[in-house]
Amino acid sequence: MPTFDQLLDEFFYRPDEADGPLFELAAGADPAGPEPADEAPAELIAFILDDECYAVPISEVREIVKVPPLTEVPRASPAILGVMNLRGEVLPVYDIKPRLRLSVGPVRVAGPGAARLPKGARVLVVRSDAGDAGVLVDAVRGVVKVKPSAVEVPPPGVAGGERDCVVGLFRRRDQLYILLDLAQALE
Amino acid sequence: MGFKVLIVEDSKASRELIATTLETIADVEVMQSSSGFEALKLLPRHRFDLIITDINMPDINGLELINFVKKNPNYRDTPLFVITSEGREKDRARGLALGAAEYLVKPFEPQSLEGLLRRYLKIA
Amino acid sequence: MKPPGKGLSEFVAEANEVLDALGRNLLALDERRGQEADPDLVNGVFRSAHSLKGLAGMFGQDRIATLAHSAEDLLDRLRLGKAELSDPVLDALVEAVDVLQALLAEAARGGESPELAERVKDLSGRLAAVAAAPAPPTADPLDAIGLPPEVRAVFTEYEEHRLRENLRKGLGLWKVRAAFDLADFDQGLARLNAQLKPVGEVVSTLPSAEPGDGSGIAFDLIVGSRARREELETALAGTPGKLTPLSEAAPKAPLRSARVERVAPPDTDIARLPDPPAGRPNPEPDASLRSLTQTVRVDIQKLDALMNSVGELLLVKANLSALAEAARSGAPGQPTKSLGQELARESRSLERKLDELQKGILEVRMVPLGQVFDKLARLVRRIARERHKEIDFAIDGGEVELDKLIVEELSDPLMHLIRNAIDHGIEPAEDRVRAGKERRGVVALGAYQKGNHVVISVSDDGAGLDVDRVREVALEKGLLTAEQAALLSRRELMNLVFLPGFSTARAVSELSGRGVGLDVVKTNLASLSGIIDLESERGRGTTVTLTLPVTLAIIRALVVSVSGRTYAVPLNSVLEIISVASDEVRTVERREVVSLRGQTLPLTRLGRLFGLPEEPRARHFVVVVGLAQNRLGLTVDELLGQQDIVVKPLGGRLKHIPGISGATDLGNRRTVLVLDVGALMEEVVAPERRVEFS
Repeated sequence: MPTFDQLLDEFFYRPDEADGPLFELAAGADPAGPEPADEAPAELIAFILDDECYAVPISEVREIVKVPPLTEVPRASPAILGVMNLRGEVLPVYDIKPRLRLSVGPVRVAGPGAARLPKGARVLVVRSDAGDAGVLVDAVRGVVKVKPSAVEVPPPGVAGGERDCVVGLFRRRDQLYILLDLAQALE
Repeated sequence: MGFKVLIVEDSKASRELIATTLETIADVEVMQSSSGFEALKLLPRHRFDLIITDINMPDINGLELINFVKKNPNYRDTPLFVITSEGREKDRARGLALGAAEYLVKPFEPQSLEGLLRRYLKIA
Repeated sequence: MKPPGKGLSEFVAEANEVLDALGRNLLALDERRGQEADPDLVNGVFRSAHSLKGLAGMFGQDRIATLAHSAEDLLDRLRLGKAELSDPVLDALVEAVDVLQALLAEAARGGESPELAERVKDLSGRLAAVAAAPAPPTADPLDAIGLPPEVRAVFTEYEEHRLRENLRKGLGLWKVRAAFDLADFDQGLARLNAQLKPVGEVVSTLPSAEPGDGSGIAFDLIVGSRARREELETALAGTPGKLTPLSEAAPKAPLRSARVERVAPPDTDIARLPDPPAGRPNPEPDASLRSLTQTVRVDIQKLDALMNSVGELLLVKANLSALAEAARSGAPGQPTKSLGQELARESRSLERKLDELQKGILEVRMVPLGQVFDKLARLVRRIARERHKEIDFAIDGGEVELDKLIVEELSDPLMHLIRNAIDHGIEPAEDRVRAGKERRGVVALGAYQKGNHVVISVSDDGAGLDVDRVREVALEKGLLTAEQAALLSRRELMNLVFLPGFSTARAVSELSGRGVGLDVVKTNLASLSGIIDLESERGRGTTVTLTLPVTLAIIRALVVSVSGRTYAVPLNSVLEIISVASDEVRTVERREVVSLRGQTLPLTRLGRLFGLPEEPRARHFVVVVGLAQNRLGLTVDELLGQQDIVVKPLGGRLKHIPGISGATDLGNRRTVLVLDVGALMEEVVAPERRVEFS
């Protein structure tokens, strides 16, 4: 039996309240400090998938939300974990780990017997021409700035084949970031 | 101090387009009116620095509006442009005869409107 | 001028409206071919073409501007009496509307096809050539009446022409001066105009240039009329209008009054179509009749009502927040019970307000079917001309309102049905006469509301269908077995024409063409949760009836559960629900069926279809769904109840999931998928009947 407080919480819950807006994230990010202004740095959202750190342009991310309850979609591509309801908008949520050859199969996070997700798990709501979508990530690391010239072309072994959605690599302190083409990853 | 311009034109899209053009040229406050009747109601309530009107409108035609404005001591000094797709020479001559300052035929270049605006509103 | 980026959609929306008005007025002119044209109509069409030219010019749409300009030139000569409204002129103008529509559609998509550019060139040439006949020049009767030059100066060329026309017909010209309050002169003028309209033509409305005291304004109305002074005085009674003669009416007036032709169209429009001209067959593919914009015109009062609802909802929200705060602060003495009661009260209030808001929004989405009917009337005219058929087109029920979305989706199926009726239903005039029928065929389009549904019918009095031939063809095609056919009623047999595969070219010619693309019509309709039914009698004609829900936005749904998942089934496709014990289920040709009142009902286990883990059960619930003429039982585990739902699309990435039409929120942030019953039936029922054709 849920307590009255829980009921109230449920009543007033809005998924987007759970995380601050992006610019708050941006404020505390990027410990490397400001870059010289000779080249405009790109702003990226960094996130974790398994133990690797990935990044996508901030302009492609609409918002970041806690993982809401997902509804399985029968007959959809296996990469689609389910659909979520974001303030009335129905969006598919993807697991891109198999695409990146990380985990073997998609986790079941919807329907009966769904797996528990790590506490930091979030859904990045991304814009794309084929329709906006959610991408499940293990954790969000924040915003990093990088000069386009600092991004290396990935070695053939990394970018080839099913990992063609990897478009670049860059290093920040000791952390390796993998730059993703999300539209490609959601194909 | 900005200028106040009245646009009388029954096509909303055209009205918006003219208004946008004006607003990018100078600091103008644009009032839009979709008919001659509406314009007749707006005239006594505001002091316009410029009136821009179409000819073909559903209630009173633009010529009648020009005549009304130019015969009325309260408004007669306000410059008035006609912007219309009317190509007919007769109507054009009448518009100018009734006191319209300029007669522009759609489509026109923003630069020509800009030049006229600077001249009549005496914008540097 | 270069338009700003967002300008295009504004342009398309307005151009579309202008073009709709143009088409409507042109149709009205067309219906009264051969009679003296109503000058107001001609001027209306001219004004539309003129506006379109200006608009297109401003937005850099050169092809539209060019064609509109050609049409405008022609119409200008028409309204100024410099050209005659002959049949070729009308034909050219009607064609211009079609081409303009196609151009606008291209513009909306951002394309420019060379074919259309070519047509613009051809048609512009024709519009210029078609009305070259000049009217004989005559002495200007206006000069004779001695109008003050300052009055003449403000007439447009058109107004001068109307004055001349009135004088030529021997009508008198009058000046009516009326002063009004500045605040509401437009209403005053409208009343004055309404009272003058039955007795004369108001050629011009001139705001008097004499300065008033600032709160009033005077107008001079120039009126042409056959009426005597006393009659006009009577007409002006109760208005501030003062009458002054400019020229008297001629004593011997011609018998035919210019007023007579201005008859308002009757409620049921019968557009008498012209006999087809020989030669120049002009078959063109039917462009879609869908409108190019997604806009709905809304009465501001309706929006005000919505705004009020929102205001009340905000109050409820404030109350709820206060309650939440009270509960959070958790004052120890605070009785939870009274909080609960207050919450319950607020939630009831919330429900009521939401209900109002929902109703208001549904109302805003409603548009009259007439929007599509008008376009179809033009289409009928064109097809009849192309096919050399003599046809009367009757429209009834254009005022019936439906959700904008449905009206849009309906236009193409209706176009299809009407084309079928003309192409294959109505016989050639000679055949009709031989069969003892009226020479002219009738195609009728009607609509009426029936509860929460709208019934639309497309009927013709043509050749009709032979039910025995339908059965034969269906058997030949292997669409069903002889045993199955024996069980079908006459009506069920007739509806076999909607099966995919029925309408092959051979079937078409054998069955006077019925069935062309009818399966497509059926599918379109099913996606609107509509039901289609066909009734026909050989020699007497055919009626296709479409039954549709009034709105799609909110539907009632049956909520079911399968293998622990929840789904919503639109209730409008649910016929009944039965409970079936496992041992009642039989297997026929590896398919599960159950006997329902002596009939065999095919079953589909939803869980299996969706690849969900199944658990053995002693009893199942079977949701019997039917769309159009098909029946199917969906086996589910549990029934969870009924609920009003708002169906939301799954979005671009998931739109092709077969069997799922969207998602809905059942409250508690639970998103539930909504089944697409039409697609499921297509998938499950159709393959067993369908036989491959090459």
